[in-house]
Amino acid sequence: MKKPFFAFSAALCILELIFGQPAPFTFPLQQDSVRFAIIGDSGTADSHQFAVASQMVKARAILPFNFVLMLGDNIYGGHSTEDLKKKFDIPYQALLESGIPFYASLGNHDSENERFYAPFNMNGKRYYNYRKGNAEFFALDSNYMDPDQLDWLGRQLSSSSAAWKICYFHHPLYTDARFHGPDLDLRQRLEPILRKYSVNIVFSGHEHVYERLRPQNGIYFFVLGNSGELRPHDLRPSPETIKGYDTGRCFAMFEIVGDRIYFETISEDGRVVDSDILPRQPT
Amino acid sequence: MKLFTALALMCAPQLWLEPQARVNPDSALVEAFEGKVADYVKMRKAALDGLPPPARTMKHGELLREQHEIADRIRNARPEAKQGDICSPEISGELRRLIGLALSAGDKARIQATIRRADAVPVQLKINGPFPDRLPQPSMPPTLLLNLPSLPPELDYRLVGRTLILRDTLAGIIVDFVPDALPGTK
Repeated sequence: MKKPFFAFSAALCILELIFGQPAPFTFPLQQDSVRFAIIGDSGTADSHQFAVASQMVKARAILPFNFVLMLGDNIYGGHSTEDLKKKFDIPYQALLESGIPFYASLGNHDSENERFYAPFNMNGKRYYNYRKGNAEFFALDSNYMDPDQLDWLGRQLSSSSAAWKICYFHHPLYTDARFHGPDLDLRQRLEPILRKYSVNIVFSGHEHVYERLRPQNGIYFFVLGNSGELRPHDLRPSPETIKGYDTGRCFAMFEIVGDRIYFETISEDGRVVDSDILPRQPT
Repeated sequence: MKLFTALALMCAPQLWLEPQARVNPDSALVEAFEGKVADYVKMRKAALDGLPPPARTMKHGELLREQHEIADRIRNARPEAKQGDICSPEISGELRRLIGLALSAGDKARIQATIRRADAVPVQLKINGPFPDRLPQPSMPPTLLLNLPSLPPELDYRLVGRTLILRDTLAGIIVDFVPDALPGTK
């Protein structure tokens, strides 16, 4: 049953070796699949944020994603009316006008009161969850991972019947970026819960690079903190790095079809910098 | 009879002694802290009386207006507030001790790494003053939060340098602080 999938994955790897970049593939675009995009550390209001936003609009021709996860640092600097407009509303205007909802998590540059900002869909909560098809998403506040939040997460995960459990928050538990590095104390407290309840994927930002790591304790980890900000050449790839990109901005888009997740990571100039098809881990 | 007399003589000194404290003094300090926090929340509730609870969603401008209104009302309700009102010297000592306990266990290196990487920037430590939201918000090591007394949602802890700040989350103001909460480097 699994042979065709592995043969296809192997073919993609061979093509990547030959062409030096991820081999293109076609999203299944299956009816009722879960389609979403992710951005992180985006709220700069500079031309790069606009370039990424523009690529997101174009990419919807390839994968018409239905919602966007925000991995924190949604609004850098001030939080005035003008700031919210120029760092969020205007860059993503086309997506917002197409009815694409954004689901934010808070970064260390965000005001906690962003949780009341209607377009961020946080409904006044620092951490929250929502279900889309066969996936459940858990947006966490890694600025302040207090015992109440850890308890809440354990309860929500234990009662979730979703096939895919996806957590996202700002500070990465694993990363090969050197500026901040992984948050070891957060990892110590959070990862046992993620493992216990078989979380499939974790998305984080904070480090201004893109990075996909080898599964850690069975969990897929992505860092994407360069949808606006960038820290060039900050990655020091390790044996745990599958793919890194630290010379430009990007976003990523995903389609969940049954027990597979398909994704592409696209740079601000429209190049595919990473892509793959990942199987759902056995529980 | 002799046995009874002997027992009575053995127990007699206990009668002159002070009754043994039934409450752990450290727990009493935590309880005192929680009481002061509850008083703050009560005062805050009274100060915000008549103000509708924050809407779950707001538009441009409403966010900041709401925050400023709440902050002003709290400031007006405690104009004489000063450092130590909630974190008295004794309570500050206890909070330092609890942080020290977390740091003295095997978690020390991990917690210190998280604190170092928290992007904390200097904040003007003024009671009722703003905790500026245009600066990076220092993240709190979860292990410290496990060790410190829990707070109601109206308040949170923040570490800036070696200072532990008690912050009003909605108003974004400094309610009290504990200087030298983190041990210094020698």
